[in-house]
Amino acid sequence: MKRALTLLLSLIMIIGLFTSCTPAAPGADTGGDTGEVVKVGWIGSLTGDQAIWGQCERNTIQMLVDEVNDNGGLLGKTLELVALDTQGKGEEAYTVTRRLIEQDGVITILGPNSSGEALGTIPALEAGGVPDIATVATNPKVTFDNGKVNPYNFRVCFIDPYQGSVAAAYAFNEMGKTKAAVLYDQSLDYSTGLTEFFIEQFEKLGGTIVAKEAFNSGDQEFKTQLTKIKSAEPDVLFLPYFFKEVGLTAKQARELGLDVDLIGGDGWPSEQLFDIAKDEMQGGLFVNHLDYADPAVQDYTKLYTDEFGKPPELNGFLAWDAFKVFEAAVNKANSLDPEDITKALEGIEVQGITGFIKIDPETHNPIGKEAAILRIEGEEYKFVTKYSVE
Amino acid sequence: MEKFIQFLINGIAIGSIYALMTVGYSLVYSIMNFSNFAHGGVIMLGSYFGFFAITILKAPFWLAALIAMTGTTLLAVVIERLAYDPLRRRQAPSLYYIISAMGISIFLENIVLATLGADFRNYPPLFQTSGFYIGGISIGKLDVLILVVGTISLFGLMWLIEKTKIGLAIRATSFNLRAANLMGVNTEFVIFVVFGLGGLLAGLAGVMYGLRYTVWPQMGLITNKAFVAAVFGGLGSLPGAIVGAISLGIIEAMATGYISSNLRDLIAFVLLVTILVVRPSGIMGKATEDKA
Amino acid sequence: MSWAYITTVLIMTGINLLAVIGLSVLTGFTGLFSFGHAGFMAIGAYTSAILTVWLGVPYYLALLIAGLAAGLISLVIGRLTLKLKGDYFIIATLGFGESIRLLFNWFDPIGGSRGFRIPSEIHYTSLSDVIIINLIALILIANLINSRHGRNFKAIREEEMASQVIGINIFRYKMLSFFISAVLVGIAGGMLAHLTHFLIPRNFDMTKSTFLTIMVILGGLGSLSGSVIGTVVLTFIPEFLRNFNEWRYVIFGFLVVLVMVLRPKGLMGGYEISDLLRWVKRRLVRRRGEKNESA
Repeated sequence: MKRALTLLLSLIMIIGLFTSCTPAAPGADTGGDTGEVVKVGWIGSLTGDQAIWGQCERNTIQMLVDEVNDNGGLLGKTLELVALDTQGKGEEAYTVTRRLIEQDGVITILGPNSSGEALGTIPALEAGGVPDIATVATNPKVTFDNGKVNPYNFRVCFIDPYQGSVAAAYAFNEMGKTKAAVLYDQSLDYSTGLTEFFIEQFEKLGGTIVAKEAFNSGDQEFKTQLTKIKSAEPDVLFLPYFFKEVGLTAKQARELGLDVDLIGGDGWPSEQLFDIAKDEMQGGLFVNHLDYADPAVQDYTKLYTDEFGKPPELNGFLAWDAFKVFEAAVNKANSLDPEDITKALEGIEVQGITGFIKIDPETHNPIGKEAAILRIEGEEYKFVTKYSVE
Repeated sequence: MEKFIQFLINGIAIGSIYALMTVGYSLVYSIMNFSNFAHGGVIMLGSYFGFFAITILKAPFWLAALIAMTGTTLLAVVIERLAYDPLRRRQAPSLYYIISAMGISIFLENIVLATLGADFRNYPPLFQTSGFYIGGISIGKLDVLILVVGTISLFGLMWLIEKTKIGLAIRATSFNLRAANLMGVNTEFVIFVVFGLGGLLAGLAGVMYGLRYTVWPQMGLITNKAFVAAVFGGLGSLPGAIVGAISLGIIEAMATGYISSNLRDLIAFVLLVTILVVRPSGIMGKATEDKA
Repeated sequence: MSWAYITTVLIMTGINLLAVIGLSVLTGFTGLFSFGHAGFMAIGAYTSAILTVWLGVPYYLALLIAGLAAGLISLVIGRLTLKLKGDYFIIATLGFGESIRLLFNWFDPIGGSRGFRIPSEIHYTSLSDVIIINLIALILIANLINSRHGRNFKAIREEEMASQVIGINIFRYKMLSFFISAVLVGIAGGMLAHLTHFLIPRNFDMTKSTFLTIMVILGGLGSLSGSVIGTVVLTFIPEFLRNFNEWRYVIFGFLVVLVMVLRPKGLMGGYEISDLLRWVKRRLVRRRGEKNESA
């Protein structure tokens, strides 16, 4: 019995050793011209509570890697994706980043899908001299902190302050709302970030925040918070978190008879939102990176749906753009050296699906990205307007 | 006052969901004297069973619930055979059971994630989501359903334990496993039944939870609340489990309502520790000899 | 595997190891089971980060203070909870761990849920730091375990009632082991903070606590070398399994159950490496003796 166990354990370790030394190549049937392989990394949540977004990013990038290989590879070399799980944790993101750089020798890392992970990659990237293009890490500190840019961190999404301010300005200026309530996930960095800047902007414009209530990740019951919000009589309710909780919030709010306009951020859009609370979400407005009616968006959505049998989440679009930015940087640098790619990334200009992206060399953020305001109508996200605040 | 009543109703609603989870866990504890951390995983799978029964088999709701409960009962019994029974044969201390349970829980959560994906799945709505209104106070229809189903099943369980022969055997075994065995109780069978019942309740809890909220691989984490509720009420005591669960629900609602939603869980934990300092075996727990 | 990557994994192993040594005193030698030590890790991590970033305290001193801060909190928590039995204690520690995480999420001056960054000028935890600190800890704890105090810990683990009868102050010993475990876990937290240079409360969740406890148990309760082996194995296995991504923790969960079912006393089963060596030596001596006789 004991021997059997020992055997089994060592077998698994040996299998593990082999697979980690020769990473399983998911897109092995590649059509690059030469046998030479160059690796690109992706990190993000494949397990844990944010897995749904990570899995979509990984699928998207795999799709793009296959496409590049079908078209002759990257600078004539076969591109291989090494996608690794961070469980949504900064500490894991650190280890995984080091692993990708030191073990797999990737030339660039794409992802992760949240700021909490992206911030963990900073020291690992600096030690390894490899750039990272974050997809949906919206915390300003990911690329720029204390007046200093983090040399290897880039992103293709706009940042929390921008999104929060846009939502606040739109609610106050365009919807004519003056009394806002906020419900937010206090253990989610994305949610606290948006909340902070929404409140700042809304109050600056002259509105009042009549209620600010919190919950914790994993909660599904918000009725008591909503009861408090209801008695504060707001005319708009800001919900800066992801669609699962957003849908449940809307349902429970309607159950309580809290009939107030809902506004939110880019955590909202998903096909699954309609499964949870289609009726209750009607008329809801949110800030987004893109307009779903855009032909480029529809092309990708179709490609993805054909391949994976379900429509992509928002992260897929940004993963697409992150990959395109990476590809453009390699071509601009005409080199596969991480340092050259890093230099090429600064100031690069790419037409992405989420808009025109120009990476600012000073902050490593995309500049000039305009936010889109979308409204939920039936099972569609209808484009309302492009909107920006100074 | 209206607000107070609304908070109270909200608290009871969430408390009754906790209760369904807590009782199954507490029942296993009363016999085995260990925290079955795999309970959350079984509840999660119960939710999935129910969901697939409705969406794929097109089963009506009651049948889906039945299918889910059958599934989780079997699952719980299989887990007992594979993960706990070998430990019991070695008379391992409860620490090992807990670790084994944690392993099962990690396994279940991740195998669902790996095979079914991280998507959130939603039961088709049973009712339109409107509530009853009494004055300005709203009562959710689902909340009422959950409370009714929960009450019926818990009374059924109480009846089983208090009035039937197997119930007597369960009580005897929970009092003292070895003595019960010597008195001719087939404790193997009792353990089997208890895990089955725990699984049954987990299935019911899973379906109710899925119906009320949504289904996804990490949903088992909510059972942490059930463990806290069980300790509140007193481990191993079924009335204690119910009292603990409902009071935890109400405490959470009141803490959110009158103090701060930011500090809700903190207040609940501080109260937990306070109760334990005053009454080390919870509100209704039996004073435990340290068996470990 | 490249050496640079092995170094990274070794540093992670070392950080886990220090925490596991601490927990080993509590769980392995005193028989108390905690699901809240991620809380002490968070306290240590944040304390050390605040000290080095805001006050410019040197790395090693900051780690020491971080450990003591965690220890201090453990005295308060211990006073309240150590009288509880079995699972009541487990759930109380679980509550403590979650509360600490909530507090850090809520407390904005150190970043709240958005995290706290340590600037890159500040010292990074290196492999040599990890080795030095672990060696010191191992020597201190091994001495403690082999002393009269160590025997008292074990006595409490085996027979709490009997230990009380022979005059061991149970509460004080439980408190001592709780304190030691908190200090070491706190220092481990400080080292972790200075490795990733970024702190976010969600890293210190219950999974972290249970993971540490699983390492102790899998290594073997009441064996210091078992804890070392358990940590090395359990840090390296998930690393090897990385390419399995979604399947990684399926395999991991399965292995945990397998070890519990097949070898519930853990890999070392209460024995130390030194016991093993002594046994091998005895066998060798005996065999040589037999040979001499037959010759």
